[in-house]
Amino acid sequence: MESKVIQIPDLDKKRRVKGIESKKSMYGRMFILPWCIGMAFFFIIPLIQSLIYSFSTVIVDPGEMSTQWVGLDNYKTILNEDPTYTDNLISAVTSFFRSLPIVVIVSLILAMVLNQKFKGRTFFRAIYFLPVIIATGVVMQLLTKNLNGVDAIITLSADTTNTYTSSGGGGGMDFTTILNSLRFPEDITKTMSSLITSIFNTLWSCGIPIILFISGLQTIPEQLYEASKVEGATKWEEFWYITLPMLAQTLLLVIVFSMIDLLTSNTNPVLNQAYQYMNDSAVYDISGAMLWLFFAIVAGTVGIVIFLYTKLLLKRWS
Amino acid sequence: MELTAKQKKQQLKLKTARRDQYKRYTRSTGGNVLYTLFLLIFGLYSVLPMIYMVVTSFKPLDELLVFPPRFFVIRPTPANYQILPSLLDNLSVPFSRYLFNSLFISIVTTVLHVLVASMAAFILAKTNIKFKNVIFAVVQFSLLYNAYTLEVPRYIIYSSLHMIDTYWIYILPAIPSSMGVFLMKQFMDANVPDPLIEAARIDGAGTMRTFWQIVMPIVKDGWLTLTLFEFIGLWSITPTGTIFSESLKTLPYAAANIVQGGLTRAGASMAVSCIMMIPPILVYLVSQRSVTQTMSSAGIK
Repeated sequence: MESKVIQIPDLDKKRRVKGIESKKSMYGRMFILPWCIGMAFFFIIPLIQSLIYSFSTVIVDPGEMSTQWVGLDNYKTILNEDPTYTDNLISAVTSFFRSLPIVVIVSLILAMVLNQKFKGRTFFRAIYFLPVIIATGVVMQLLTKNLNGVDAIITLSADTTNTYTSSGGGGGMDFTTILNSLRFPEDITKTMSSLITSIFNTLWSCGIPIILFISGLQTIPEQLYEASKVEGATKWEEFWYITLPMLAQTLLLVIVFSMIDLLTSNTNPVLNQAYQYMNDSAVYDISGAMLWLFFAIVAGTVGIVIFLYTKLLLKRWS
Repeated sequence: MELTAKQKKQQLKLKTARRDQYKRYTRSTGGNVLYTLFLLIFGLYSVLPMIYMVVTSFKPLDELLVFPPRFFVIRPTPANYQILPSLLDNLSVPFSRYLFNSLFISIVTTVLHVLVASMAAFILAKTNIKFKNVIFAVVQFSLLYNAYTLEVPRYIIYSSLHMIDTYWIYILPAIPSSMGVFLMKQFMDANVPDPLIEAARIDGAGTMRTFWQIVMPIVKDGWLTLTLFEFIGLWSITPTGTIFSESLKTLPYAAANIVQGGLTRAGASMAVSCIMMIPPILVYLVSQRSVTQTMSSAGIK
C-alpha cells in the first residue's frame, strides 16, 4: 500500500515533466523547421548530388542527365592529367592561408582604433565600410574588370606586367600609369604598385570583419577596463587579458567570415577553372571533382582550426 | 514596466559614468591628430575609388578619353546622368519594373531571411533540442561552400519545383543561407545570458514570447548587421540562367546592359553605378545609427 502512495506522485511528476519537455521541443522544432527545409532542398540535396557527380561520369543528353559510377577516376584525372589544376590548387590554398591572418589582424587593429572615442568616428567607420557597399555586382565589375576596352579603375590583381600594357584612356585610374607618368624609376614603381595593390586587397576584404569586431568590442563592459586601470594594468595587458578573451566569440565569427570571403572570391583560380569547365563545356563530373578536392582540403583545415580554437582557447579564456 | 524603468536608470548611470571617464582619460591633441592621420591614410584606399567614380560620372566625353587619366574633372557636366533616361527607354521593359523587382526581392527576402535565421539561431543557441550539434555542424560546413559548387544540382531542383523563371528563384534559395544562422547564434551566445531565458520561462513566457520580447531586442545589433549584409548582397543579385522573362529581371541587369556599351558609355555606366550605390548606403546609415544608439548589453550581465 505504501509503495503505491509513493509511486503515484512519482508517475505524476514524470508525466508532467515529459509533457512540458515535449511541448517545448515541439515549439523548438517549429522554430527551426523553415530553415531546415530550405537547407535540405537548397544545400544538402545539391551537395550530395554534386558529390555523386564527382565520383561518376555525367552524360548530358537533351532533357536529362545520366550518371555512371566510376569511383576515383575523376580525381585521378585532375591530379595526373590536368596540367594546371595542381598549380591552381596550391596557389589557391597558399593564398588563402596567407591572407587569412593578415585580414583578421588588420581588421582587429582597425576596429580597435575605430572603437576609440575621437572626433569623426562615425565618418571613419562609414569610410571603412564603403568597400563592402561598393564591392557588389555591377559596380565591382566596373571597378575591376576591363569591359570592352574600358580600363579597370583599379587593378586588383598584383599582376604588374599587365598594367604596363594597358593603355589608352577610357577613364581608368591605374596606379602604375600614374606613377609612371610622374617619372619614377621602374623598380620603385613596381614595388610601390604591388605594395599598394596588396594593401588594397587586404583593406577591401576588411569591411565586414571590422563591423563584426566593433560590435563585439562594444559588448565589453567598461567596468573591466576601469578595474584594470585601478589595478595598474598596462595597455598591452588590457589587450591580452580583457579585450582578446572577451572577443573570443567574435574572433571565431570573423575568422569564419573571412574564410568564406576568401574562398568564394572571384580571384580564386580553382573556382574559376572549375566554373569554366562547367559553363563552357558542360563537364560536370571533372569540375565537381575539382571543387570537392579543394573544399575537402580547406574544410579539413578549417575544421581543425575551429576545433582547436573552441577546445583550447575558448576554454582557457572563459 | 518596472524593470524597463530600472534598466533605463541603469543605462543612464552607465552613460554618465562613461562620459566622465572619457573626460578624464581623453587623449592629447597630438594623439588625436595621429589617430586621424592614421585612419585617413588607410581610409583613402577605401574611399578613393568611390570618389573617382562620382567624379568620373560628371566628366564630359573628351575628358574621359584623356591619357594619362586625370583624377579630377575640369568642366563638370550632368550629361552622363541626362543620357540615362534615353538609354533606359531602349530596354524592352519600363525602368520602373526593374526598380520594383529589385526593391521587392531585396526587401522581402531580407526580412524573411533575418526572421528564419534568427528563429533557427535562437533554438540552436538557447535550447537543447535533439541533433542540435549536428545541425550546427551542418551550418558551419555549409558556410564553406559557394554557389558555384552547387549550381548544377540546384538547377535540377529548381526545375523540379517549377521555380525557374519566377520570383521564387530569387527568394527561396536565399532564405536558408547559413551565414545568418551562424552570425545570429554567435550574437545570442555572446549577449543573451541563459539565466534571462530561464527567468522568462519561470515567469511563464512561451518560446514565441521569449523570442520576440527578450531575445530579439537584445540582439538588435546582430539582426541589424545581418539585415545590412543581406540587403547589400541581394541588391546586386543577378540571375544566371534561371530567369528568362525580361519583366522579372533586376536593376543590376539593366545597369549591366548600359555598362556593356563599352567605351562610349563609360560616363553613363559610371553614372548608373553611382545611382546603384545609393540604396545600400542608405540602409547602412539607418542600421548603423540604431546600432550605435542601442549599444546592446541590456538585461542582466
